[in-house]
Amino acid sequence: MTRRRLGAVVAGALLAAAVFSTDTLAYLKLGTRQGGQLITLKFNTLPVRYFVTNRDVPGVTASQLRDAAGRAFASWAGVPNVRLSSEFVGFTGANPLSGDGANVLGFVTRTDLDRVLGSTSFTVDTVTGGIVESDIFFNSLFSWSAASAGEPGRQDIESIALHEIGHMLGLGHSMVGETELVGTGRRVLGAEAIMFPIAFSAGVLNRVPRADDMAGMGDIYGTETFRSSTGSIAGRVTKNGTGVVGAHLVAFSPATGKLVAGFSLSQDGSFVIGGLEPGAFVLRAEPLDDGDASSFIESSVTIDADFKPAFYERLVTVPRGGTSRSVEIKVIPK
Amino acid sequence: MNRALAVLAAVLLVSTSASAQTYPGSTTPGRIEISGGVVWIGGYEAGSRDATESANSSTGGAPLTLFTTSSRVSSATGFDARVAYFFGSRVAAEGLFQFSQPQLRVKTGDDFESATAATVVGTVSSYLFGGSLVYHFGSGRVVPFVHGGGGYLRMLDEDNADVTTGSEAHGGGGVKIWFGTGKSRLGVRADAQVSSRSKTPGFEDKRRMLGTVGAGVLYRF
Repeated sequence: MTRRRLGAVVAGALLAAAVFSTDTLAYLKLGTRQGGQLITLKFNTLPVRYFVTNRDVPGVTASQLRDAAGRAFASWAGVPNVRLSSEFVGFTGANPLSGDGANVLGFVTRTDLDRVLGSTSFTVDTVTGGIVESDIFFNSLFSWSAASAGEPGRQDIESIALHEIGHMLGLGHSMVGETELVGTGRRVLGAEAIMFPIAFSAGVLNRVPRADDMAGMGDIYGTETFRSSTGSIAGRVTKNGTGVVGAHLVAFSPATGKLVAGFSLSQDGSFVIGGLEPGAFVLRAEPLDDGDASSFIESSVTIDADFKPAFYERLVTVPRGGTSRSVEIKVIPK
Repeated sequence: MNRALAVLAAVLLVSTSASAQTYPGSTTPGRIEISGGVVWIGGYEAGSRDATESANSSTGGAPLTLFTTSSRVSSATGFDARVAYFFGSRVAAEGLFQFSQPQLRVKTGDDFESATAATVVGTVSSYLFGGSLVYHFGSGRVVPFVHGGGGYLRMLDEDNADVTTGSEAHGGGGVKIWFGTGKSRLGVRADAQVSSRSKTPGFEDKRRMLGTVGAGVLYRF
């Protein structure tokens, strides 16, 4: 999965295994198809042991990349009630694309991906979904910075590492963000998820997982406490009585201000948004229009983006450790 | 604490000394009073918060607003039931049950993608179990009174998915009008009070003062 500066096609060819976004809770998780089943990708063995390529680029030394990656891993491990750990093993001369059984992070120059800041690839046990190897490259075509306060005109390595390590740990993309078209690509106006597929402008820091990211990580690596202390919203999005595929659902808590989102990915328009703190939520459905659909959902799925954004007319209460009543959001064509 | 006890003792002493004073032709009424009626509880603003996203700005600009929300709990009509025991003609201890179903209404607006503004509604079932001390000013046909007490609040959303509990304290006054003079008698009651609640429907975690008024039917025996 890739992190782009401007809109670009996901570099699927980089993936060592077929990796899809699965129609699970909230945010998207990565999964692989085994027979007719989707299996969630995750590290089954912890800590996640990783190497850093011993190569400097202007603005970021290998040691600074190690430190930034360490902080990014720690940020994910700091999500409440998840069981995650990582261990820096050492520097390596290997590139982060080698398929050598080691998890490697490092800089590589990819002129063929001139809009891609970074990308994560996987080798997966397709029976268990266990991640055998995952590598992250950061494209040294771009200007990078490891400065604690960021630097104008340079991408912050910790921000981008946080996003790519999110992928490495199994998260797909989130669509909690707004963009505008700029030329042939998109520019982010705002985002409330580290896992939004398009990066903030160079020089802007984005180093803290948000509620949507936390819900996703909790879904994959959450402890029993996470599952018993959070709940979910389940329902359908329909248009003229039939299910809407690819609707983006946002659950907003007026009490906390937190946004957690998900998609309807089944033909009947059903969705589940998980990892929510108990309480009352405002639910909103919108078409998938802030990025390339393929950034979020496997390309074989045909999405319906022909409807107006709409709110569900009732507050939805999320119980602790359970699921809300099933709700139906009826949308109308644009 | 000592001061509170002293005040209570003074009230009880006064009531004891006054308990024999009934108006001419009246029989001393019974010690038990039951009542039931309707109650109106005032509404209030329940908080406003915007759904925002971090701005793509290196200067920490204002967040992008996805949409705004402002919430209000509507005034609600409910019912209450009370049982009182009179220690004398003026002082009674009263048990109270009150039920109401206020609506929590969230107005959305200013949607970044032009979603039609909506009012998102949830209904809350509110139960109050409490008690009061009631002091009556006289023992005639028309009897003003004041009361004060506290209780336990229990609120459930419309799906019974989430329970909120809290404490309540109230104080107020009103009037009772009796239609008879016998030991058993019917009457009506009207009262107003201020209710301080540690938890209320809405999105702000703070104690609120709510105004309530009520009216009901009394039977004393």
